[in-house]
Amino acid sequence: MPTALSSVAVPARRRFRLSAQTRGIKLMLPVLLLLLVFFLVPVLTLLLRSIMEPTPGLQNYAELLGSQTYVRVFFNTFMVAGVVTLITLLVGFPTAWLLAILPPRWSRLLFAVLLLSMWTNLLARTYAWMVLLQQTGLVNRVLLGLGVIDQPLTLVNNLIGVTIGMTYIMLPFLVLPLHATLRAIDPSTLRAAAVCGASRWQSLRLVLLPLALPGIASGALMVFVMSLGYYVTPALLGGTSYMMLAELIAQLVQSLLNWGLAGAAAFVLLVVTLGLYAVQLRYLGAGRSGMGGR
Amino acid sequence: MTTPFLQIRGLRKTYDQVVAIDHVALDIKQGEFMTFLGPSGSGKSTTLYIVAGFQEPTEGQVLLNGKSLLDVAPNKRNIGMVFQRYTLFPHLTVGENVAFPLRVRRRPESEIKAKVEKMLELVHLADYRDRLPGQMSGGQQQRVAIARALAYDPPLLLMDEPLAALDKKLREEIQFELRRIHQETGVTILYVTHDQEEALRLSDRIAVFSQGRIEQVGTGEELYEHPSSRFVAGFIGNSNFLPVKVEQMGAGRARAIFPNGQAVEGDARAFAAGSEGTLMVRPEQMRIRPHATSAQGLAVTVRDMTYLGDSMHFAVQTPWEQELAVRMAVRDGQGLCIGSSAVLEWDSQHGHVFA
Ligand SMILES: Nc1ncnc2c1ncn2[C@@H]1O[C@H](COP(=O)(O)OP(=O)(O)OP(=O)(O)O)[C@@H](O)[C@H]1O
Ligand SMILES: [Mg+2]
Repeated sequence: MPTALSSVAVPARRRFRLSAQTRGIKLMLPVLLLLLVFFLVPVLTLLLRSIMEPTPGLQNYAELLGSQTYVRVFFNTFMVAGVVTLITLLVGFPTAWLLAILPPRWSRLLFAVLLLSMWTNLLARTYAWMVLLQQTGLVNRVLLGLGVIDQPLTLVNNLIGVTIGMTYIMLPFLVLPLHATLRAIDPSTLRAAAVCGASRWQSLRLVLLPLALPGIASGALMVFVMSLGYYVTPALLGGTSYMMLAELIAQLVQSLLNWGLAGAAAFVLLVVTLGLYAVQLRYLGAGRSGMGGR
Repeated sequence: MTTPFLQIRGLRKTYDQVVAIDHVALDIKQGEFMTFLGPSGSGKSTTLYIVAGFQEPTEGQVLLNGKSLLDVAPNKRNIGMVFQRYTLFPHLTVGENVAFPLRVRRRPESEIKAKVEKMLELVHLADYRDRLPGQMSGGQQQRVAIARALAYDPPLLLMDEPLAALDKKLREEIQFELRRIHQETGVTILYVTHDQEEALRLSDRIAVFSQGRIEQVGTGEELYEHPSSRFVAGFIGNSNFLPVKVEQMGAGRARAIFPNGQAVEGDARAFAAGSEGTLMVRPEQMRIRPHATSAQGLAVTVRDMTYLGDSMHFAVQTPWEQELAVRMAVRDGQGLCIGSSAVLEWDSQHGHVFA
């Protein structure tokens, strides 16, 4: 009797699930259409222009990867994004940790500061950094006043300026996901590490970091990818010596009207980004399921 | 006289206004299995966590072999601990978990390997070395946690309700293993539970906690036979509490009267004559007789009887309409039926008078 019942019940349920799925797709149709029109079409146009203008072929890509100047821009872009990601990690991990362990009152305050800065206009924040970091700015004056330095430091129009400005902007994008990961770690796991004899450093290295790795990796990737394509902050704080890809593309389009080359540059950036995303899915997807039940 | 292995002296811990524990003092012998038993919120974990080093006492001292533990960081105390929640490192295999305390102590690899094998054998999980904790049952995880806590041969093992999350059968199985492990390793164990049966089954001695203080310390038998307070009597085993008024105090004995005016005697601490009290008698130390066999007997009515195989359980009603529980051998209960009048008797040394 029970077997007969279940053999009827199973296909019924499966049919229901299938129909639910198709219904779900139908519901998603407008969104898919929107994505198609506003995302895929421009990308494809760009790709098309990069291989069709001025004449059909791959000469835009050849020029991009063959010229010293352009390769330098690629290098700058990856280096700046890398440095920013690294510094953001170094600042962001302790911040996320603080958020996770501070008493609620204080962590709410810290959260508010983070979110408020995130919601403030990007341009305003970047200009604020310019004011703070310039030769006669607050940072230099404080350092001079304290006697730490006796010459004002050059903090804008170079790598330092870009790194400071970008790190500040990227911080929430790392801290928020990382904080969620850290919050999910049972504090008694760390207590257990301590009773087992692990020093603070060993607990961090052998327990906390491995457990936080999924959050660290996804946050870092987010920051890296966003930094790769960032425009405003590098343009304002980096000056001309550290031109990044987004600036190059803007210049190619605005001043030189070279849509073909700009399209090629943008497309290379897109491919790199998607590649990184694939790497993350592959390795972190596997890593997470390996973590088991907890 | 040698110094006790572990001394807990005058511990007090407060959180703002809340007094978590107060005047907690206890000496523990080497190799002893000592259990903290008490209701939720009575301060068992707080005491244990102070010994472990996760919390600092507001007042008091903890000495191991005569040396203060309080100035030693938790990771330098060389104490083993098993928590209520499963705290295995989820990213490490069972073998790596057990090896962890040895790794952080930088023991040679060959020693680690041998020790891990030995510990996993001790908890009967030798075949699970390469599993991840998430792939194991709760009981297995707690056994790995025990192996990990014992891997570095700590002189002291702390356990905070390690079996609370397990079902009854599994709990009994691991209790049995814990006794064996305790005997095999000779480790001193401080064990926290709020399950009196578990405490009786495992412990050499039990410290009963109530509202942040230790009410009484003793072997299970001492606590059961000679509880020092109404709380301990109520917490360990089943008891009947009868209201009495103390009339006269003698050497360790009190003469009192029941609400119906009948006189009774029982063990008692110092008591002011005329004060209200409670007479405690265990259900299995009472007998129901169809007719009085001695002068000291309470007239009762049988309200209910339940056959339990090895014994009979009775509910009887006193003249002041209180229900009492009585347990007797099946053959002693013959001739009684629901509604019949009878006489309730007990030996006067089994009556204890409490405030
Ligand atoms: N961080 C804290 N802040 C305020 N009060 C606390 C804190 N930790 C514990 N307490 C209080 O201290 C008392 C003792 O707590 P403790 O955890 O030691 O109890 P317990 O006997 O282990 O109880 P349980 O069986 O529920 O684990 C409780 O009244 C509790 O409310
Ligand atoms: Mg507790």
